[in-house]
Amino acid sequence: MKLVKTLFILAFVAIAMPLSAQTADEIISTYIENTGGDAWNDVQATKMSATVNQGGMSIPVTVYNTKDGKQAVVIEFNGQKITQMAFDGETLWTTNFMSMKPEKASEEMSNNMKLNNNDFPSPLLHYKENGYEVEYIGTETKDGAETYKLKVVQEPVMMNGVETPSISYYYFDMDSYVPIAIETTQMGQPINITMSDYQEVEGLYFPFAMSQAGQPFQMSEIVVNPEIDETIFDFPVE
Amino acid sequence: MKKILLSLTGALMTLASVEAQEDITLTGKQLFGDLKARQIGPALMSGRFIDLEAHPTNNRILYAGAAGGGVWKTENGGASFEPVFDEHAQSIGAIEIDPTDPDKTVWVGTGEVWTRNSVSLGDGLYKSTDGGATWKNVGFENSERISAIVINPENNQEMYVAVLGALWSDSEERGIYKSTDGGASWEKVLYTDTATGAADLIMDPENSNVLYASMWKFRRTPWDFDSGGATSGIFKSTDAGKTWNKIQNGIPEGDLGRIAIALAPSDPTILYAAVETASEKKNGLYKSTDAGASWEHLNNDFGLTVRPFYFARLVVDPKNPDIVVKGGLSGSLSRDGGKTFTDLGYQHSDIHDIVFDLKDSDRMFTATDGGVYRSWDGGATFEMVEDLPVSQFYQVSVDDATPYNIYGGLQDNGSWYGPSASPGGIEARDWDRIGEGDGFRVLKHPTKPYIYSEMQGAQVVWRYNPERNQTKNVAPQPEGDEKLRFNWNAPMALSAHAPDRFYMGSQYLHKSEDMGDTWVKISPDLTTNDPKKQELESGGLSLDKSGAETHTTIFTIVESPLDENIIWVGTDDGNVQLTQNGGKTWTNLVENIPNLPANTWVYHIEASVHNKGTAYAVFDGHATGDMNTYVYKTTDFGKTWNSLVTDEIKGFARNIQEDYESEDLLFLGTEFGLFITVDGGKHWSHFTNNLPPVAVHYIELQKQTSDLVLGTHGRGVIIIDDISPLRQINQDVLAEELHFFETPAGIIDESSGFGSTSTETQFVGPNPSKQAKIMYYLKKRHTFGKMTMEIRDMEGNLIAEPAPGKSKGLNIVLWDQLKKAPKVAVGKIPSFVAAPNAEAGTYKVIITKGKDTYEHSIRVENDPNTTLSEADRKAQRELTQRLFNDVEDLAYLGYRIDHWVEQLEGVESKKATKALEELTALKKTLVITTGDRYVQEAEPELREKLSELYNNVAGAFEKPAPVFYRNAETYEAQIKNAWETYSKIEKKYLETVNAEIQKAEKEPVTFKTKEDFLAE
Repeated sequence: MKLVKTLFILAFVAIAMPLSAQTADEIISTYIENTGGDAWNDVQATKMSATVNQGGMSIPVTVYNTKDGKQAVVIEFNGQKITQMAFDGETLWTTNFMSMKPEKASEEMSNNMKLNNNDFPSPLLHYKENGYEVEYIGTETKDGAETYKLKVVQEPVMMNGVETPSISYYYFDMDSYVPIAIETTQMGQPINITMSDYQEVEGLYFPFAMSQAGQPFQMSEIVVNPEIDETIFDFPVE
Repeated sequence: MKKILLSLTGALMTLASVEAQEDITLTGKQLFGDLKARQIGPALMSGRFIDLEAHPTNNRILYAGAAGGGVWKTENGGASFEPVFDEHAQSIGAIEIDPTDPDKTVWVGTGEVWTRNSVSLGDGLYKSTDGGATWKNVGFENSERISAIVINPENNQEMYVAVLGALWSDSEERGIYKSTDGGASWEKVLYTDTATGAADLIMDPENSNVLYASMWKFRRTPWDFDSGGATSGIFKSTDAGKTWNKIQNGIPEGDLGRIAIALAPSDPTILYAAVETASEKKNGLYKSTDAGASWEHLNNDFGLTVRPFYFARLVVDPKNPDIVVKGGLSGSLSRDGGKTFTDLGYQHSDIHDIVFDLKDSDRMFTATDGGVYRSWDGGATFEMVEDLPVSQFYQVSVDDATPYNIYGGLQDNGSWYGPSASPGGIEARDWDRIGEGDGFRVLKHPTKPYIYSEMQGAQVVWRYNPERNQTKNVAPQPEGDEKLRFNWNAPMALSAHAPDRFYMGSQYLHKSEDMGDTWVKISPDLTTNDPKKQELESGGLSLDKSGAETHTTIFTIVESPLDENIIWVGTDDGNVQLTQNGGKTWTNLVENIPNLPANTWVYHIEASVHNKGTAYAVFDGHATGDMNTYVYKTTDFGKTWNSLVTDEIKGFARNIQEDYESEDLLFLGTEFGLFITVDGGKHWSHFTNNLPPVAVHYIELQKQTSDLVLGTHGRGVIIIDDISPLRQINQDVLAEELHFFETPAGIIDESSGFGSTSTETQFVGPNPSKQAKIMYYLKKRHTFGKMTMEIRDMEGNLIAEPAPGKSKGLNIVLWDQLKKAPKVAVGKIPSFVAAPNAEAGTYKVIITKGKDTYEHSIRVENDPNTTLSEADRKAQRELTQRLFNDVEDLAYLGYRIDHWVEQLEGVESKKATKALEELTALKKTLVITTGDRYVQEAEPELREKLSELYNNVAGAFEKPAPVFYRNAETYEAQIKNAWETYSKIEKKYLETVNAEIQKAEKEPVTFKTKEDFLAE
């Protein structure tokens, strides 16, 4: 079934989309259409389970995201669950690895996180409503593949007290219109993301393999609209 | 099947299917994939920077443009810089931040404007709209050099570009250009003639209609530099560029040379100009206090008149019109409106630009021949920025040490050598200086501890003994009144047949059989000896006699690695000379070379290792304005030559390197980077993976490692580690869905990890990886469906699961040669345990892609530097495994306790409470249940002690000490005791409590088997 759908997508793309006359909007809407269409709007939350291999250790990582911008990254280190970072929509917090206690991130970082509250599940889904500026830059070879390059300008962030533009580049595979690479900034640091192993989950296509700043993540499971205990996002009160 | 030759470049992939018989053609990025260059600097001497541009409102942001090393940006007030222009021409002329959109819009005009003999080229104007992250070429492709960009601060649609233009030829693309649509279209508004360019341009900050420009007539040839003419001058426009008038009231009549102009931002009626005139007395600084209506000559000190073509930069303090700084040999600063000057504080000589901090004029930056400097005290004291690896190599060579060393000479920064790898990374302290002045060629004696290096025009040729730190000048000396003409970049060569043999070239070929102690000439004058090209009075209005323009000289020498009697010599005036009898007779072969303009500089000859009669010759005509690429191959001792040039190559070429194994694999260095062919030159592919389009002056291939080592003129030494996969590429490989390449064995590195001494803001060059490399070609990028990689031992046991690369083209996956770490008992804080090293041997690599699997094998070897005997290694491995099992045994016990405790929660019975109590008490003796990971750490319990012991044994490369065995026994006894205690608890409570639980219609407590628990 999945294979059939993928082939259908490829065929559709080849027929419907000539290589010329691309606009940013066409690329984004084809991407959204090819990976799930309107179903994306029904996604309230996601739970992604991945494994990170580091120095011979397999570290399970679970990432929770909700439509209203809440996030949590929970890692399991030698059987011990640690909330590496969480954001409840207002406050970003982390676990200090010396004291193993939760600590609030700086107000600046929390405020920057708040800017992403309207970006679930992708900043591209409602880029118009969010007032993001998107621009088709041209074609480029990424990971050896031919891609369409799009520039996306989101709300500026604050970096050490100074307002800084927030600009990302998305690279869409020419054959399938799914993004295979993103060059963006996180907390002011440039970061490169690559995506592959797209697979279908409830009618939506997700990349099951990602690499962020050279660190690979292999997803074992992605759950759409999972049951989430909302307290995981809250800063723990002792 | 007919062997089809590979072609790398060509049409992009289209939707049409590729038929089996057709060549598969791939461009650079589609093919080279993960094969990435390694930039090792060095940065300790840095290199020439030519323009600085400060953000108008945020003094944390500054851009610095390099002569040949691109654009660098700091966002932290100059503490550290990042390169932001790596995909474009690396020679920079001018940087301008749009004053109306300074966070995003930045312009770069390429092509250095300090027109020394070795200067690089630009290819136009670039614009960024994302603060320098990405750039687009927006025109002026043939401008060669752009000297200034000016934007109206009230209206950024109105802007001007000053084009200095071509250095070695006439050009109509010169002068001042204006745009009124933000750079979309341009109109030339000031132009004099094809030989005169715009050298400087400024706008009155209070009135954008008022512009000042300087025009300059200049020309370089290989043997001369000429500055000055009637068309040079200072111009002013008061109508936004429509009309221009010369404003030279007070400046001498007659020819003028290069002119720097500056305006005091705090009082725009005050102008300064540094003027090159025909009169030494009238050279130097002029000042106008009436917006250019008249000029007064203030100063002709050395610092104000020295080398105008190199130092025409004036900068006025933004707040104080009396503080003015002039670029120069040392840089000059005036605090009295230009009447008197003092040198800037000690720093690398040759200051090309100065910028004041917008908030604090005591804080300033300079751009010098040796990098960017910072001052905190108004220019009295300077400190160097230490992370700018823009060194400009003229040549590199390598030795056969492990790790091998790299040798080379630099523009105005002497000669150096340093290692290709070093503990902690390749740092400043790893590099040793072995020459002064401008360094050029450096060669290591093949067997003895001597290094040959030189400075300008072989003024000195050092034979340096690093062991004794002694030198001897071994430069060939003229006999009597004879004049030797050595090129500024004088050639030297060694022999593969006689280690003490040493060649140097003037107009003659000099040979020494005793490492330069004595010399004999083994040729007549091999050049054209054209007296017209032997100008000694170079410079134009200001005499500039450095020797850099010495011409009609030998430039390249190579003795055949297959026959010592075969020597090829190339001259800068276009002769290709060959002897096949050790110098007794010479033949000039240049007439045999088709389609080569006469007298084109022979930049490099490469004598083949494959055949005696085979050689490659690279010609460079850029210094006479010919920017074409010339690369030829002969297989018959130069009787016939074939061009290897295709239009896939960009830029004139300087060097070619053949592969020692595959005759069809060639590497070409041009003004715009590295080009590679795997089919003997039918197709070339631009290599751009972490390799900017920088001028590649020299290429070496290190034999033992197959590392390609590039000497770049602007980005230091750049290495492509192990090019051997390129030898394995052919049409059959490219037709496969997935093809594994053979790779060298991974090495289990036993070195300490000590070594780094660098601080936060110093450049450190990365080391090559010693990890096992899994290298494969993918026909198509993997985007949909699962793709995984497994490493298994030959018995099929799963050892590791590295993430596979998914790129089309070459993928390189590194395996750290670690097996999986043991499972550890859960405690309050995590316990870190090491993963054991895999054993030396062969491993299977299995890639699963959809329903297809692909298999290959790789090898892992022990460190050749090991001191461990096989017996000791076996003992270490056995104890590691024993402790590994102990750690997991304890983990399983921990699991049984934790799991039971969890299940007992909410069970209210006496027995359950008792069981809980006893289990908790037992757990407390096994793992720490309090404290943190720092200074409130709890006293270690069994898990912590055992983990530490395990880590000590597993992480070491040594025979385990007896105490480790004794401790192992102690902890094993404790684990045994703990299991016994646990068993008693289980016997006492499990059945009865389970019965109670079942009565309450709940699931009884059951446990996973140890196997299942460990396999999870």
